[in-house]
Amino acid sequence: MSNAAARTLPSVVGNTARALPAPAGKPDVARRPRTPLSVVRSAPGRRRTPFVVLCFVAMAAALLTVLVLNISVSTAQYQLVQLKAQAATLNKENQDLTQKKQNFEAPQNLAAKATELGMVPSTVKGQIDLNTMTVTGKATPAVKGENPGAVLAPPAVGGVLDVVPSVTTKDPLENLKPVTPAAPEASATQATPPAAPASPAATPPVDLHGGSVPAPQQKTPGQ
Amino acid sequence: MAQNPGTSNKTKTPAARRRLRVGLGIMLTLLLVVGGKLFMVQGLDMGGMAEAALAKRLTPQVLPAERGQILDANGTVLASSVIRYNIVVDQTVNTNTKTFHRYNEKTEKLDEITRDQGIADLAALLGTDVAKVRESLTGDKRYFVVAKDIKPELEDRITKLYIPGLKAEGISKRVYPNGSVAGGVVGFLKDGTTGQAGIEQTQDEILRGTEGKRVFEIGADGLRIPVATDELTPAVDGSDVKLTINTDIQYFAQQAIQSQVNKMNAEWGSIVVIDTKTGNLIALADTNAPDPNDPGKVDAKDRGVRSVTAAYEPGSVQKMITAAAAIEEGKSFPLDHFTIPPSYTIDGQTFTDAFEHGTEERTLAGILGWSMNTGTVMVGSRLSKEQRYDYLKKFGIGEQTDIGLPAEATGILATPDQWDERQQYTVLFGQGVSQSTLQTVRAFQSIANNGVMLQPRLIDGYIGPDGQEQKAPAKDSRQVVSKETAQQVRDILESAVTEGQIKDAAIDGYRVGAKTGTSQAPREDGLPGFDGYTASMVGMAPMDDPRFIVEVVLQRPKGNIYGVTNGPVFRSVMSQVLRTYNVAPSTGTPARLPQFVK
Repeated sequence: MSNAAARTLPSVVGNTARALPAPAGKPDVARRPRTPLSVVRSAPGRRRTPFVVLCFVAMAAALLTVLVLNISVSTAQYQLVQLKAQAATLNKENQDLTQKKQNFEAPQNLAAKATELGMVPSTVKGQIDLNTMTVTGKATPAVKGENPGAVLAPPAVGGVLDVVPSVTTKDPLENLKPVTPAAPEASATQATPPAAPASPAATPPVDLHGGSVPAPQQKTPGQ
Repeated sequence: MAQNPGTSNKTKTPAARRRLRVGLGIMLTLLLVVGGKLFMVQGLDMGGMAEAALAKRLTPQVLPAERGQILDANGTVLASSVIRYNIVVDQTVNTNTKTFHRYNEKTEKLDEITRDQGIADLAALLGTDVAKVRESLTGDKRYFVVAKDIKPELEDRITKLYIPGLKAEGISKRVYPNGSVAGGVVGFLKDGTTGQAGIEQTQDEILRGTEGKRVFEIGADGLRIPVATDELTPAVDGSDVKLTINTDIQYFAQQAIQSQVNKMNAEWGSIVVIDTKTGNLIALADTNAPDPNDPGKVDAKDRGVRSVTAAYEPGSVQKMITAAAAIEEGKSFPLDHFTIPPSYTIDGQTFTDAFEHGTEERTLAGILGWSMNTGTVMVGSRLSKEQRYDYLKKFGIGEQTDIGLPAEATGILATPDQWDERQQYTVLFGQGVSQSTLQTVRAFQSIANNGVMLQPRLIDGYIGPDGQEQKAPAKDSRQVVSKETAQQVRDILESAVTEGQIKDAAIDGYRVGAKTGTSQAPREDGLPGFDGYTASMVGMAPMDDPRFIVEVVLQRPKGNIYGVTNGPVFRSVMSQVLRTYNVAPSTGTPARLPQFVK
């Protein structure tokens, strides 16, 4: 019997059935003939699978969304960390180079380098007024070997050159050429001592008139 | 019939019913207990556990502010902060790790490196021997400094060694790229953070900036909890301080005075260069200036700026003030006639000159041109004591300079009622009064600037972290003497060079006015009396419209004081200044006031 029937008609079958209260004076009016017993197919229960599937899909979607969000945040975070590291490295490099430049610019180091090149300070200067084309003052040539006066110590900045590097006649960048590409070329440049002013080309040695600053290599522009 | 009728109480045995009730009762009681405890812990929070837990998680982190730079007038960096690293090691980790892995970029595989190999690599990079490095890496300290002040590129290479337990700590270091040039003016730091001298000290608040703070919650595993508290107060970097100093002139002047002091075996020397039109100080050069990178190398007494802190008796340079006062009060004029005896006695006080002479007929110009004490007393006695005092005060004697350096000298100017019989006259030629070099220069600046005194300026302005420049306001100016008086005094000063005794201050192509000063230096051991001399020379150029004043001071030079001349030093510094600022050669006729009355 279906549940609906069980609710409306109290069961009288079986030993757990309730005892029927005697209906008071209510005769059975139209006792219907019992319908033949047959298997009652219960009404198809509500299908639960779509709901379950829906649940699973929703859960998967939620998990995926969270995963994707986390991945994107993490990627961005990795990028951020990488960029920050790059910025920090560049900043350090910048500071390093700036310090080197400042060290070269320090007046004491410039003066020391000038002295090493054999320069002396000028004494009496004249002036040329370009507006009136007049020359005033009596310019005197600088005298070599005069007492240079007190030497101020170079700045004691740790880790930076405080001994001015010795001057070579070669362009400083040339000295930084890598040794590996052309081994014979490298050994040749190392063999010639830096003091030799004569250039590798076939130009005749220039008369420096007792100076020590080498003459420029380029004689005419564009050569 | 598939049905499941509910069990009714009427069909249960009484025992079962009771058991069920008891069970329900027990469960409800437990629920109540749990609920109550929950309420107490979560709601009332007796024992403050939530707070304690939060306190444990909260980590405040200080965000350091970058210290501002100190720049010169042209933007040259005199002081800046750079990143340096301390290499620290957790000794427990390193001692217990026999081998570790290092990624080899060439083979793209992990190499297995032994501890010894790691130590050898580190020693090679640090440039120390292996035994010392091994000693610092072995032990049971969790924090031990292996190396300090490592530069970033070296730190990079050390980090790539991946030595276990080794870490690099970033610290900020102050570097002074120009070393002892303007070293005393810039000053230096104590403990790497607080200024201890010079501009670093007086402008410490502005240079320092404000630290930032970041508060976040951190779990027991050491990772930050993302969704919890995260308050951030960003750090405000310090402002840059821009000075009026010109580094090249400063170097030139420092080198010049150091050479002069070495040559004359003097105790110390100073050179002050000022721009008369603005009051900007171009150079404050002192001998034995400290290198702020290593201030301990010089004596403590050399670590200040003597140009502003050392007060001494100025001597004959003060005669300019006497002359200016006399001319302003109408008591004299440059060609005024004076008959000067070999020694002059007034009020029982006798005064003589530095050179022997008979009775001379001199002009006021000649009195200053030959720096005669006798003549100065003659002129000055025409002024009352009050007048002498007032003019000294007007010219800034006894008034402290305020340029932003520590311990600036006020000088000593006693009030007239305190002057004794002799002092009332000696103040006229700069003895019995003391002042710093900058105060003397300030007095001469008024004369150069048509009688208008401008307070000297060292700090030009401040540049905020956003790059905005804010000029330091100029202080009030005052009219000390009239324009005409100033012109006449300038003529007298120029005649001292063209006609007078200061011919070695002349510069080819430019009109120069100058005054020398030789004063007796009081003893410094506490006993009364004098010991040695202070030789000074102050000059201005070009006289057609003076733009710069240079004063050279030499304290206690050895040898005959009258053989000492600061002329060549003054000349070289002044020519350098004129050349640097592209000052056109002088036009017009130089003043040549006669020094003698014909």
